[in-house]
Amino acid sequence: MESKTDKCVLPSGMVLLGEPMEGVESVAFDFMLPAGAAVMPEGTCGAANVASDWIFRGAGPRDNRALGDALDGLGLHRSDSVGSSHLSVGAALESSNLAEALALHADVILRPHLKDEEFEPAKQLALEGVLALDDEPRQRVMVELRKRFYPSPLGRSTSGEIAELKRLTTARTRAVIKDTFDPAQTIFTIAGKYDFDAVREQMEQAFGACPAGTPRSIPTTPRAGKYTHIPNDGAQVHIGLMTETVRFADDDYYDIRVATSILSGGMSARLFTEVREKRGLCYAVGARYHSLKDAAGIMCYAGTAPEKAQETLDVIVAEFRRLAEGITAEELERAKIGLKSSLIMQSESSSSRAGAIGSDYYMLGRVRSLEEVKQRIERTTVDSVLACLRNHPFEEFTVVTIGPTEVRVG
Amino acid sequence: MANGLVLIGEINPAAKSAAVGFFTRTGSRDETPEINGVSHFLEHMLFKGTDTLSAQQVNEEFDRRGAQFNAFTSEENTVYYAAVLPEYLLEITSLWGELMRPALRDDDFDMEKNVIKEEIAMYADTPTFDVVDRCRTLHYGAHPCGNSVLGSIESIDALTAVQMREYFARRYAPNNMVVACTGNFDWDRFCTIVDERCGGWKPQQVDRPLSHFEGTKQAERLAKPNLNREHICLIHTGVSAQDSRRFAASLLAMVVGDDLGSRFYWELVDKALAEAASMQFNAMDGTGMFYSYLRCSSDGAARVMETVQRIFREVQTDGITEEELTKAKNKVLSALVIKNELPMGRLVDLGFNWMYLGQYRSIEDDVESAKAVTVDEVNTLVRQLDPGSFTQYSLGRGAAV
Repeated sequence: MESKTDKCVLPSGMVLLGEPMEGVESVAFDFMLPAGAAVMPEGTCGAANVASDWIFRGAGPRDNRALGDALDGLGLHRSDSVGSSHLSVGAALESSNLAEALALHADVILRPHLKDEEFEPAKQLALEGVLALDDEPRQRVMVELRKRFYPSPLGRSTSGEIAELKRLTTARTRAVIKDTFDPAQTIFTIAGKYDFDAVREQMEQAFGACPAGTPRSIPTTPRAGKYTHIPNDGAQVHIGLMTETVRFADDDYYDIRVATSILSGGMSARLFTEVREKRGLCYAVGARYHSLKDAAGIMCYAGTAPEKAQETLDVIVAEFRRLAEGITAEELERAKIGLKSSLIMQSESSSSRAGAIGSDYYMLGRVRSLEEVKQRIERTTVDSVLACLRNHPFEEFTVVTIGPTEVRVG
Repeated sequence: MANGLVLIGEINPAAKSAAVGFFTRTGSRDETPEINGVSHFLEHMLFKGTDTLSAQQVNEEFDRRGAQFNAFTSEENTVYYAAVLPEYLLEITSLWGELMRPALRDDDFDMEKNVIKEEIAMYADTPTFDVVDRCRTLHYGAHPCGNSVLGSIESIDALTAVQMREYFARRYAPNNMVVACTGNFDWDRFCTIVDERCGGWKPQQVDRPLSHFEGTKQAERLAKPNLNREHICLIHTGVSAQDSRRFAASLLAMVVGDDLGSRFYWELVDKALAEAASMQFNAMDGTGMFYSYLRCSSDGAARVMETVQRIFREVQTDGITEEELTKAKNKVLSALVIKNELPMGRLVDLGFNWMYLGQYRSIEDDVESAKAVTVDEVNTLVRQLDPGSFTQYSLGRGAAV
């Protein structure tokens, strides 16, 4: 289970990370720009989404159409997304077109045209994206949950806020882009089939002249509210809940990952068994670990009929609490093998690895080898998992529901 | 095998995992209205165990081998699959083989009804899914391909365990199934395991009447007060999975309606008339369809549909260009490369190629077929398909605009 990491830091501070993969023809890359939702200036939530569209509407020597055609002609599978800390701009492709794809992306990041006439459609699409979320309560409930769980502004909606999007102007958005698209604070990752010397040379030429920058800190305010209900005359009550736990960078991170797997890792895990198999309360129920750099939680979703919503919530909360009362050696073993299998299977995908090494570097300042992760999972014991759960008990739950009826939150 | 069960494998010794799938040629199109939803219900019931395994034991058997496993049901197939580390492949294959002869207990059936009804409710709250489902039903009218995969609350309430067992006995015959395997595994040992589990199954007469259907080409709209976007689905008749023009059809859908860089994209999304606009080609058994999905404001829906009609007219009159076809090919080819690098990604194509064609097709075969498509072939297909006539279903708030 060996893995190797290529690394280089450009004079500006921009970090290049790579993980070569045997036996693949594809390559995936990702520019993690420090322009995530939490970094947007107050009152501009959604500016990152507008920016991620606007920068592709013409850059370098190409206008909107020519740029789109050039990217398309390379058979790129683009993957642009806004997260809490970063705006990620990347793609997966057949490796023979890599140099051209990187050159086009350097134009997009460094030399976007940002023309006035292209601003309105970019803004309109971002606005419509937020409105569309209203029609997908399963997704919306988790957006609203993150907003309320994480200390503000860390949990801000990564789609944007309607009122703030409406107020965005061309000038304001240009200023935000100028301020946050900081190549010096950008993490570039690549995984799959590539030649690191060639990539480094190309990146040095493209980004070498950028000025060095300084990392910015995000001041936060405590979370607000414990329970929020959003009325919706739909078929189900969509329940989201989240409770605080140890962070990705903490020593007992692997213990909480194992604990979360025992709770909801597979179909034999406790939530699926208790909520769906034994009681038939839900079709969809599941919990997962979610960490930002400075805060983390276990988030859970369940969708159920209005008359079953209260029981569903009560059973879920009871299962969270019951974890610290004891886990069996068999549960621990199943959790470990599940985590190790998914680690190995994800390592077969160039896109997954490009994402994972970037996230490692941002959170830890280094990339964990697959072997290290495997060993750390292996090292967890019933005692270490229980100690972690008892040292960090699930006390408060932030709950959001969307649907025809409310629930009581104890 | 002697009983008609087909085993097919594609070995990749460099892969870090393996994937196995039991493909059954049965889905909602094989149901009558009285038992609508039974194929999908059965898919759930196969996880409930056998005469010697309880549901909890089944889940534990998968989980303690770290399997990523699940199943899906469509109009015409029910597929059970797992991706695992190579050392567990044979055990997981054996487990799936065992589960293909389930207990189908009454109490499990009664409990699972609740879960199925929650699944129906969940998709009712997912308009992107709901509108496509409704449009397909409208498009196919009385043709069995219009049957809902999930069934309705009413059909599920009325379904009995006896009906389900009878359907199972008719459809899960070895000569109606394919077992496929990809990635890093030993073919001979794989065959031995499947033979041990499945060699004793008895073949039987099983069929599916195939008929092509041109579609009703009606238009309907349903007002749902809790929606704030207009969700529109359009369905065109397409070519079948057995038709050699399916590669041209895939490329046509990409030119017209890929998420980025297509005619839909430049005319609708780039100009922010619609926030989402896509077209996909779905090749089916003896028939096929293109479906398009559009999402926009209700006020803007009329203009979006005018633009869509114009795009369809232009592609019908003028055809597509050489440049468009080249871009579409590049996208299709790189998608093939990326998907097939994962054993789980490869499994579905491998299994379906046998299910529909009775053929092994390598990745290179598919690449060559896509590369060989010419502009003339696509444009001939466009004229035959008549893109100006389609079935339309819309969901949105308030009255139709």
